[in-house]
Amino acid sequence: MSWLITGTGAVSSIGGTVADMFDALRAGRSGVAPHRGFDPGRFRARNAYEIDDRPVGVLDAPGRTTNWLVEAIDQAVRDAGLDDRLDDVPILVGTTQREMRSVELHWRDGVPLDPRDAHFGTALSRRFGAGATYTVGNACAASLYALGLATDLLDLDAADTVVVAGADTITESIYGLLDRCYPLPPDAVRPFDRNRRGMIQGDGAAAVVLQRDAPGRGARTRLRGVEVNCDAVHPSAPDTGNIACTMRQAHARAGLHPRDVDLILLHGTGTVLNDDAEAEAVGEVFAGVDPFPRTTAIKSMTGHTAGASGLHSLITAVESLRTSTVTPTVGVDDPIEAVSGLRLVRDRAERAELAVAQVNSFGFGGLNAVALVEEVRG
Amino acid sequence: MNGKSVVVTGIATALSGVDGPADLAGGRPARPGAADPADALTGRGLRYADRATKLALCAARDALESAGLLAGGAVPEESTGVVVSSNYGNVDTFCDTVDAITRDTYLGTSPMRLPATASNVTASAVAIRFRLRGANVTLCNGPTSGIDAVHWARVLVAASRVERVLVIGVEPANRQVESLSGVPGHDLMDGAAGLVVESEAAARSRRAEVLAELGPYSRRADWAESVATVLPGGPGQVDLWCTPGGVDPGPRAVVDAAAHLDVTRLLGECSGALGVVQCVAGTAWLADGGGTVLATAGRGAPDDDAASAITLSRAGGRR
Repeated sequence: MSWLITGTGAVSSIGGTVADMFDALRAGRSGVAPHRGFDPGRFRARNAYEIDDRPVGVLDAPGRTTNWLVEAIDQAVRDAGLDDRLDDVPILVGTTQREMRSVELHWRDGVPLDPRDAHFGTALSRRFGAGATYTVGNACAASLYALGLATDLLDLDAADTVVVAGADTITESIYGLLDRCYPLPPDAVRPFDRNRRGMIQGDGAAAVVLQRDAPGRGARTRLRGVEVNCDAVHPSAPDTGNIACTMRQAHARAGLHPRDVDLILLHGTGTVLNDDAEAEAVGEVFAGVDPFPRTTAIKSMTGHTAGASGLHSLITAVESLRTSTVTPTVGVDDPIEAVSGLRLVRDRAERAELAVAQVNSFGFGGLNAVALVEEVRG
Repeated sequence: MNGKSVVVTGIATALSGVDGPADLAGGRPARPGAADPADALTGRGLRYADRATKLALCAARDALESAGLLAGGAVPEESTGVVVSSNYGNVDTFCDTVDAITRDTYLGTSPMRLPATASNVTASAVAIRFRLRGANVTLCNGPTSGIDAVHWARVLVAASRVERVLVIGVEPANRQVESLSGVPGHDLMDGAAGLVVESEAAARSRRAEVLAELGPYSRRADWAESVATVLPGGPGQVDLWCTPGGVDPGPRAVVDAAAHLDVTRLLGECSGALGVVQCVAGTAWLADGGGTVLATAGRGAPDDDAASAITLSRAGGRR
């Protein structure tokens, strides 16, 4: 069983469309800048990967995450050539923080917030007439996890078309907590670098239209399968063995062998724990594969877009397959030992013949999601 | 949806002043001043757990126990998933943390609260405590979220990702939730409910008692459409209708119900826990005689973004 990705949409700090985002990724252009939404006197950290679309004269405003979500879905639906009335199309939204930035502004600053607008479904109903909408709060694995749930709906004949999206913004709470946790505030996300200091959040949303395979449906990319599970070990630390296991199960689900994979979009958060565990797991699963698949990660340019990050990576994979281009991981000056055999593409984009890409997405609570996509030829 | 039969094999509540699901089915209001179920919780990892997580762990333990999954060893790890529904579970973490930052800068925050900023903190804690390694999903889906959680549990089973799912609906009552919801604290539910949803084949193979079978489900923008979808025979007759909170069933003539149950009159505004509480109460109600239960949550446009509906029936002769 496989499904077609017939439309994509994305907004992030490095571009308001899929084309703009991919151009920036290809050029290695980062969205990192001094944060503009919080009182700088309350933080040691300075940088973030923001979409600074706040109204003039206001430090921050509610509802921005919802706006990006609607924009990304709108792009994906138009790209797929669908009508924007989605009465009968389920929409799954993966997110870590939902509209919690709006809740913070309401609670502390008294900014008005209708409780219904703290829930994405309200805007999706208003904009698309959609009824079967679902917000999946599955941490930083959320949108790729939601993609797996969407394949189940198609598999069970419960839908013909599903829109899957992800959206998150930078909350002051998480920004402050990370600032408190890290010994030194990171200036940028540096995945797999020895001197990485941790992750920095990024704003953004992403969406794909997923459809059953049917004659006449033009699609560039086929989704071969998505594996999801839970380590059930630790609230925040990843588990190398289980990450490896998830990848193997994803390959089995997709009917693919590690040697079939040409490109891996790594989760690559720039945290000590994730990067070590992920690199080791990839090394183990792909041991002996020659040539080793190219690997890369996008978060040094987009920041960690949390619930949206899995689909941001997946859309990057889709564009990489389409253009035969591997985007570089920037900010890696001194790679960790565990990536030495991983063929990490750094600094400059590479041209390559690519047929199959793997996308990794992991989250707090031991959530793991791994997807496999392939180019539709001919 | 494919033809795989999906059944309920365990139910539980973690609600102060409610002795169990039968109390809800019998329409008995929670006794004021009763003990807090979370007080009796023991074990590791509780020190920094938020209230929603503690309540959920109580309901999880009792639902697994009710399903016969704790007796004689551990729960089957790989084949059991978790779906948690909550809209307000971690609102207090965000509110407290921005307060701390305003007062004492980032240095005033507590790093131990970082995990609870992710909406899945409760589902993760439940998975860790009972070693449930299957698909783990958190739904924060507004007023319909609880019924939607039961639906997604069924999808995970029907798609063969897992054999069974522990479903928890939980909401804490605190001043942060009061502020966001606009509902006074004494009208907010503070508790959890849990049910185990399982493939009939798996339930049979481990000789579990089947308490109810899940029927059709729908989430639509329009309330009447949602109900009509799950009662395909037309304006349906059901034996018990679990109504959305505060709805007068009279004018909603699309359902001809012999009995009504509004659990929010017993517990207060249930938000994301509502549909799970309804399915737990409905399953207990079926134990007393059978028939069909309709649960509906959310009132649809223009009040809410949508309305969800699901039916449960007595799984007669399937023990």
